[in-house]
Amino acid sequence: MTDISTRSAGGGAGGTVLSLRKLAPVIFLAPAILLLAVYLLYPLVESFRLSLLDWNGLGTDARFVGLDNWKKLASDALFWRAARNNILLAVFSVLIQMPIAVVLAVVLDNAGRGSRILKILYFLPLLMSSVALGVLFKYFYDVNFGPLNALLDYVGLGYLAQDWLGDTRYALGAVIAVVCWQYIPFYMVLFMAGLASFPAEISEAAKLDGASESTIFWKMKLPHLRGTFRTAIVLSVIGALRYFDLIYVMTGGGPEGASELMATYMYRNVFSSFQLGYGSTVASAMFIIVILIASVLLRFSKRYETEI
Amino acid sequence: MSKFASKLTALACGAAMVSAIPFAAHAADKVITEWDLQTTASAVKVIRDAADRFEKANPGYKVEDTHILNDAYKTKIKIALGANEPPCVFSSWGGGPLREYVKANLVVDLTPYLDKDPAFKDRFLPASFGASTIDGKIYALPAENTAIAVVFYNKELFAKYNVTPPKTWDELLKVIDVFKQHDIAPFALANKNKWTGSMFYGYLVDRIGGPEAFANAAQRKNGGSFADPVFVEAGKRLQELVNAGAFQKGYNGLDYDVGGSRRLLYTEKAAMELMGTWEASTIGNENPDFAKKLGFFPFPSVPDGKGDPSDLLGTLGDNFISVSNACPEKDKAVELLKTLTDDTAAAGRVAGSRLPPLKNLKVDNPFLQDVSKLVSEAKSVQLWWDQELPPKLGELHKDTSQALFGLSKTPEQVAEEFEAAAKAELK
Repeated sequence: MTDISTRSAGGGAGGTVLSLRKLAPVIFLAPAILLLAVYLLYPLVESFRLSLLDWNGLGTDARFVGLDNWKKLASDALFWRAARNNILLAVFSVLIQMPIAVVLAVVLDNAGRGSRILKILYFLPLLMSSVALGVLFKYFYDVNFGPLNALLDYVGLGYLAQDWLGDTRYALGAVIAVVCWQYIPFYMVLFMAGLASFPAEISEAAKLDGASESTIFWKMKLPHLRGTFRTAIVLSVIGALRYFDLIYVMTGGGPEGASELMATYMYRNVFSSFQLGYGSTVASAMFIIVILIASVLLRFSKRYETEI
Repeated sequence: MSKFASKLTALACGAAMVSAIPFAAHAADKVITEWDLQTTASAVKVIRDAADRFEKANPGYKVEDTHILNDAYKTKIKIALGANEPPCVFSSWGGGPLREYVKANLVVDLTPYLDKDPAFKDRFLPASFGASTIDGKIYALPAENTAIAVVFYNKELFAKYNVTPPKTWDELLKVIDVFKQHDIAPFALANKNKWTGSMFYGYLVDRIGGPEAFANAAQRKNGGSFADPVFVEAGKRLQELVNAGAFQKGYNGLDYDVGGSRRLLYTEKAAMELMGTWEASTIGNENPDFAKKLGFFPFPSVPDGKGDPSDLLGTLGDNFISVSNACPEKDKAVELLKTLTDDTAAAGRVAGSRLPPLKNLKVDNPFLQDVSKLVSEAKSVQLWWDQELPPKLGELHKDTSQALFGLSKTPEQVAEEFEAAAKAELK
């Protein structure tokens, strides 16, 4: 990099310097833009195009059906149920993950040096592969052999033992709990970064003025984290709306579609039912829903915008 | 770049050039790609050995065999065929998905090749071509195994509670009652996967209405319909089992792929399981001690049912192998298909406890002999419904049968919903 700039500044006429300056950003951005175009923009446009076809994804017998797939989607109870499940996942992700992550971050932030081992421990779930986690928790929830029901039995709460993954009432909740458990560390780190930028002098000054720890937390640190909250909530909601892995591994969207998400429904349509056209419609609808919700969220939280 | 590094590069270039020379001699080799979903050591060896024999007999040709795990395979083969870059030789289960590939003109018609070599063709059981015959043309060869659904049971438990394998529905209900009384789940069922529970429904329809009931409805002939009383009755019988407590707790959430149902058998928390015959070798590998207690019997008859109790649900062939139309060396690829299913390959499969669907097969393993006997006596062998039906209906069938097990839909609702979808899909 230094090579180019010194050479162009030293030698050559003013004209070449200018055009090189103009060219430089193009050259540096080109690889990224090319990658985005090929792997993001093209598939996006293409999936909208495919959503207008009746096609099994094989051969050349694709049939143009206009908006038929979209009309079918509008009245497809399974899809709307999946979308509702996505929204439930988003809501509970935010409600469960944020408070726990903040508490963990505050505790670890105050705990000093000895907390390093805890930081690593709390971070572990995020480092595990979702598939391994899914299989692990399938055993954990197992109705006949699982430690969860055994534990409930042991402490005398046997009547609370349930068929966690096989009962339409509990399957979604059971998976949501694992999703939250997996991602809390991520938000914990985010909040820890936010807290690290809180100037220590200010809290010391506040203490001198007689403020209690809880006042400092509620009145100073928490407001300081507003921007972090915004980022965390937006990330969490978008992640929940496009979620796939643990549901696919743990319940496959079942039983009877009780834990179906938009992404698993799309997968089933394309790869099990051989309906590439309709599957693309689901994917495109998913994209629209995610964009809509994300932009509304960003718009209404604009006043909390900060650096992180 | 340091001098050392540039020397290293030069060295590497030189090495590459040297190593390129021996490859040059093989550059003329034509490659035949092969994909399958065999991942056990013995099954992979059978395929590689056949490939070696093929390479020897056909100098100048090389076989590139790729073995991919079941679920990943299903996704991968579909994408490859859709992108029109499939391997020359590939595996499928016949039935609905193969029909989609054939409709899209992606698969070579094997009939002329087989007609030229009747001695080769006549080695196969005639019924084994059923799943790969579309409009009278054969598109795949039955290769790997005979897998039929039977009821596996724990012989010790049956002896302990003094019950015998049931032949009729009423006997079955009695057996269920006995195990229930002793706090043992009569059936282990891992129905997260759905095809597991589908076997009960498939058998009940056969026992009640005979094999024609499903065949007529699926092929839309002779006035066949999925709203026929046979299907409603089958749903009622299935829910009768559910209400009788025939299945262990949590059946709709248990995962077969991670051994959800087998663990119940091993721990004697369940006495029976309706499963494909591959289960015997799975159990033999997982739990050799338990395998000694394992017996099996065919699905019982249903009172006043039209179906013959010898009828079976399953597949003669298990995996079917085809040649893709995109293959540049079709004739040679068909040669490879024949090598992959010749007598040497069949003997290798038998040694690996499998039962390729051939006539006059020499089998020493008593379990395989029993399976072979059931198959030879069967009046009909119906391919798994989820494989036989077009993919879209196969998915719906799995969903609706899970709903029947979950008691969240009535048999009438399921029959009507399925018939409506079939009407739209099968014209």
